[in-house]
Amino acid sequence: MWLRRFTDRSRKDEDFAEEIESHLAHEQDVNAARGLSPREARRQAYVRFGNPRATRERVWRYRSLPWVEDLWRDLRFALRGLGKTPGFTIIAVLVIAVGIGVNTAVFSVVNTVLLKPLTYPDPQSLVELRNTGPQGSFPGANIPKFNNWHQQAKIFQQAAAYDFGGAGLNITGGDHPEQVQGVHVSADYFAMLGAPVVAGRTFTTAEDSPHGGHVTVLSYGLWKSRFGGDPHVVGSTIQLDGQSYLIVGVIGRNFVTDTPADLWVPFQFDLTSQDMAHYFTVAARLRPGVTLSQANAQLRLAADEYRRIYGKDSLPPNGGFAVVSLQEAMIGDTRSPLLVLLGSVGFVLLIACANVANLLLARASVRKREFATRAALGAGRGQIIRQLLTESLTLSLAGGLLGLILGFLGVRFLLINPGDIPRIGEDGSAVSLDIHVLLFTLGISLLTGILFGLIPAISASRPDLALTLNENGSRSGIGFRSGRLRSALVVSEMALTLVLVIGAALLIRTFVKLQAVDPGFATHNVLSMAMSVSGDRFQKTAPVAQVVRDGTDRMLAIPGVVDVGVTNCLPMAGGFSVPFDILGRPMGNGPFTGGAGFSSISWRYFNALKIPLVRGRSFTEQDDGAAPGVVMINEAMARQYWPKGDPLRDRIQIAPGAGPAFAEGPRQVVGIVGDTHDRGPGQDTFPIMYIPIAQMPDLETALNSRVAPLWWIIRSQVDPHMLAAPITAALRDASGGLPVAHIRTMDEIEARNTARQRFNMLLLTVFGTAGLLMAAIGIYGVMSYSVQQRTQELGIRMALGAQASNLRNMVIRQGMALVLIGVLVGIGGAFWLTRFLAGFLFGVKTLDPVAFLATPMLLSAVALLSIWIPAKRATRVDPMTALRVE
Amino acid sequence: MLSIVIRVEGMIVVLKRPPEAGEILQGTLDMLILRTLVTGPAHGHTIARVIESTSENALEVEQGSLYPALHRLEDRGWVSSEWGASENNRRAKFYRLTNKGRKELSAASGRWRRMTRAIGLILGESLE
Repeated sequence: MWLRRFTDRSRKDEDFAEEIESHLAHEQDVNAARGLSPREARRQAYVRFGNPRATRERVWRYRSLPWVEDLWRDLRFALRGLGKTPGFTIIAVLVIAVGIGVNTAVFSVVNTVLLKPLTYPDPQSLVELRNTGPQGSFPGANIPKFNNWHQQAKIFQQAAAYDFGGAGLNITGGDHPEQVQGVHVSADYFAMLGAPVVAGRTFTTAEDSPHGGHVTVLSYGLWKSRFGGDPHVVGSTIQLDGQSYLIVGVIGRNFVTDTPADLWVPFQFDLTSQDMAHYFTVAARLRPGVTLSQANAQLRLAADEYRRIYGKDSLPPNGGFAVVSLQEAMIGDTRSPLLVLLGSVGFVLLIACANVANLLLARASVRKREFATRAALGAGRGQIIRQLLTESLTLSLAGGLLGLILGFLGVRFLLINPGDIPRIGEDGSAVSLDIHVLLFTLGISLLTGILFGLIPAISASRPDLALTLNENGSRSGIGFRSGRLRSALVVSEMALTLVLVIGAALLIRTFVKLQAVDPGFATHNVLSMAMSVSGDRFQKTAPVAQVVRDGTDRMLAIPGVVDVGVTNCLPMAGGFSVPFDILGRPMGNGPFTGGAGFSSISWRYFNALKIPLVRGRSFTEQDDGAAPGVVMINEAMARQYWPKGDPLRDRIQIAPGAGPAFAEGPRQVVGIVGDTHDRGPGQDTFPIMYIPIAQMPDLETALNSRVAPLWWIIRSQVDPHMLAAPITAALRDASGGLPVAHIRTMDEIEARNTARQRFNMLLLTVFGTAGLLMAAIGIYGVMSYSVQQRTQELGIRMALGAQASNLRNMVIRQGMALVLIGVLVGIGGAFWLTRFLAGFLFGVKTLDPVAFLATPMLLSAVALLSIWIPAKRATRVDPMTALRVE
Repeated sequence: MLSIVIRVEGMIVVLKRPPEAGEILQGTLDMLILRTLVTGPAHGHTIARVIESTSENALEVEQGSLYPALHRLEDRGWVSSEWGASENNRRAKFYRLTNKGRKELSAASGRWRRMTRAIGLILGESLE
């Protein structure tokens, strides 16, 4: 056991001392036997033995690890020193903990969203297929595109289609019908993503073809909750929308998709279909060795082929296909906001560092005599720096530990309502402390410890021995160098804080502007809920229209319900868009007159959402399949396509040539309604067409039932949540037992639309406030220290007749000079840095004069307040005491 | 500092090496100590005297440097120690050879014999 060497050192040393004594006694006995006097016998024994003390030290050193000892000594010394100044220690640790805490919190989100690889095997070879155009690339596919991509065996191992469970599926047949997230996938989906199968198997190609039968694969969650994890569930059936589905397999727990799925059913595409509707996404796994650019080159050929087969209108002339890495596709536009947040917490950490460095500098100048004494006793410069660094690293590691805890709690708080950040799981459950976060926190703790420790350590380790030791006491004044250093630190704190606060001000103004936008529809006391009509019953228009009519009537009978509308696209929750032609209008450059949002609605929809009718008439119950085709448009559409003419005289052909689902005649424009901010309050309004649900072609209804639920919108006199029970009961009766899901008020949906901006604003405000607080503490510290150091000078000035106000103004002038420099540097920095916020702003310019004027004034006011206290103290200096002190 | 003074035919050779570097010398001292203990447990003073007398005073051990070696041997488990009464009724720490130490001794003496034989061969040739 080599460890024995290092253990129990003190006891072994005592034992050794005794052993040496025994040896000397024996030698003395031998010498005495030779006839020497006891004294001479003892002396010669010592001579023969050598120096006992040196021998003991040799064994002692042999039992030691020198650097561990040094470290331990430094650490003990640091702890003792820090323990003697608990106030300083607590403030420093807290400041570091806040700095490291916010960094840990934000980094753990960045780690989960941006850095962690996808959980599928070999994630680098997974790609998403995109449509490209002049405006960038976007996902989405129709059956002909999927067919085309699926055949690119040269570049793809597998290609699979999947949707996001848009319409939902109903588990029926029990007492409690339940709407579940049923995701449609093509047969290769599971193999492509390497999904673990815990029971049974996944879909066969035969099952994924038209008439492949009703089959489903269960998720682990549904298997556990609905079937108690029964291993014999494979081979039994489950009732979905009144049909028996054969359960062929169960997927393992650790298979995570960004839209969580309860179960999967095969698409069963007819690959000969000419259907041009885009309603799903396609991903693929690249063959080994195929690069993204090779794949994209091949897809350019594929796009030409596609255009040749399906006609020139099937793909715009400047459009094509491309792939992007699946991880990039999932991250989407979340990258830059997260990086901006990471940058701002970096600022907070820098401010914290500057603050602690400042505190340490103050401490070091009080301890000047201590360092000089040590140097005089022979401590090398390196030893003093090492001692001080041990101190600062002790502080930073303690702060880091506390910061880790703060960050862990903070990230939960941060993720309460973060907006739609991908990959973070339900309420951010995927965000966790893993080894990367721990290493990050440890890394920045060490880095900050060195950063804020090194500056004071170097400046303190150069004491002028004679000068310092000869000065009387530790109150010998702030050295020129350390005074300048401290001022520089305060200036940088001010500048960094100003950048943060200007950023926060811009985001606050953005949020206020967004809140002020009128969405164009009623949000108060309006409830929405989704009813999936994916079953075979609803493949034709008439039964759907019947449910809409019946449900509307039943709900209107409920006391408190004011109005009821139905749509396939909830405002602010995404929607469809289609091309259209205006009859009799000459063609422009493109194949169509234009494109517009497209929504099918019930006749009371506009009343339910209080969307005003501007001209013409609204839909009535009589606008059904038997009546002539009608369409309503919004003002944005009227403005864009009828800048002079009258839309009410024209007829519109919707989705010309888009396949059998849209095969219908032209529709007469009968009315114009007000605009709604459908893509969120920050986005411009855009053209939208509305048609009556009861007037859709059957095939379009069938497609619609697959990809979107019926959204019921109920406006009430009271809090609509109170009416949820009678409403769901009425809907179940009207629909023959269909459940509803996603029950939310429009207020909630609107809030969700500004959640991202709210999230950014709140965080930056918190960071800015933290920075402001630290900067205020920083300038207070510097100024009160400088007043304390200059007691003598102030006393003399007073004795010579200076007024209290003169002294106060002098201190304020000196403090505010620092603040002013900081503000100027900060404005310069913000001038350059706010451009990175451009993408998050609405109604505010990056160089918004309000933010750039008000914020420096706020900062200066806070700084003035913290300078005021030491300035006031300067006036209370008693000249006699001040002079006597020295 | 481990130092062994070797008297060879009137010439006095003093070898001084820092203990970590002088592994041959250290190993040699270790070997000598272990050899001394073959006849039975002994305390440090006896060990020093035995090494000196059996080598006919050719090897003179600085007695103090014996102890770091003894403690090192104990840490390696080659000897064990306990306090007891010595021949002239004083308290003394007795060292006893362990089985591990016995094995080490035979390995070390083997190495030593091979080395001295090799050196002897070379010296024999060059002296001819």
